[in-house]
Amino acid sequence: MNPFTSIWTFLSTTYHRLGSPREFYRISRYVTPVFGFLFLTLSALGAYFGLFVAPADYQQGDAFRILFVHVPVAWMSLFVYVVMAVAGAIGLIWRMKMAFVVTICSAPIGAAFTALALLTGSIWGKPIWGTYWVWDARLTSELILLFLYFGIMAVYYAFEERKTAEKAAALLSVVGVVIVPIIHYSVEWWSSLHQGVTVFAEGGPKMPPSMLLPLAFMAVGFMFFYGYALFLTMRNRVLINERKSKWVRALAMGESI
Amino acid sequence: MSPSQKKRLAIVGLVITGVGVATFLAIMSMQSSFEYFKTPTQINSEGFEGQRSYRIAGLVRKGSVARLEDGVTQRFNITDCEQDITVQYTGILPDLFREGQAIVTVGQFTEHNSAPMLVADQVLAKHDENYVPSEAADAVMLQQANKCNDADGAVTY
Repeated sequence: MNPFTSIWTFLSTTYHRLGSPREFYRISRYVTPVFGFLFLTLSALGAYFGLFVAPADYQQGDAFRILFVHVPVAWMSLFVYVVMAVAGAIGLIWRMKMAFVVTICSAPIGAAFTALALLTGSIWGKPIWGTYWVWDARLTSELILLFLYFGIMAVYYAFEERKTAEKAAALLSVVGVVIVPIIHYSVEWWSSLHQGVTVFAEGGPKMPPSMLLPLAFMAVGFMFFYGYALFLTMRNRVLINERKSKWVRALAMGESI
Repeated sequence: MSPSQKKRLAIVGLVITGVGVATFLAIMSMQSSFEYFKTPTQINSEGFEGQRSYRIAGLVRKGSVARLEDGVTQRFNITDCEQDITVQYTGILPDLFREGQAIVTVGQFTEHNSAPMLVADQVLAKHDENYVPSEAADAVMLQQANKCNDADGAVTY
């Protein structure tokens, strides 16, 4: 068998196994702590390089260092939304149980990232811009994203019947995905107080490697935090959803699966 | 894929396309209301209404900052490298305020020497997307302060 076929077979079996709540519960037990460890290591490195090694900015001095938290959480607020919407679409089309679980469990994590992005941005804005908040396109669209996350959570909990709730929440997350390009391009399409694109700018990042490196550590670290928090909450939700199945009953009786 | 899955895929695809197109059209029709500020050139050509609040952005014109006799009011020009607007502001300016700095001023217009003057009640500093280590910054800062003198005149606010 050629290597591509075997990699494909491996990915496809892993995907299908993770589609089973029981298999997910079994495998995630080992993967979750690895995600947690990678998050702690990478974000500790990122924080160290960001706070002590990276040089001060010529305009903002040391105040710019909040960037190493603000930018990764803002990226994650969009990344989590995309994952949530894609999982929602998979759930709607293929009626895959676990895809809905990804959507439902991503919402509060994404909401937390969004709230943190707004909060750290506000703290940064006061000393540099001279204000905590303005209603420019970037800040306003990010605030709408927070309300979208709240809406998806509210819709899910508003229905008695779980399958209806899952479909409604998934549909709202799919519909809301238009906000993602709007937030990303808001600083290019319209004038704003918020700065333009630094890292993904045309012609390369407008930032030296000494600042990019800690930012990359933080960004990847926060990605693993998402994986960690997602798997922890998904494990809980799987137990709740499957509480009537044999394997959860067995688990509750102290048997291993 | 089974026929019902294909059907649902088509529905999801249609929903995304529909919402995308609707949003695009809505945004295009309200384009100008998403703009956070106007430029001095826009004001000079469009004129201004007296009782309305405006946000005007530009670079602080080199050598234009002057303090009035009361000691707390400052008057300066902001420019988009084509035209200038005079701004008057009473209060403490942000730390980043200096010649060549991009700022956003908020306030109402009055006539002053038969030209529009913005009486600002808020001055916000606007930093750009460039991050530069402070020890390597001299050349860049010089460039920043002389932005309008650049031959290609590329200015980002």
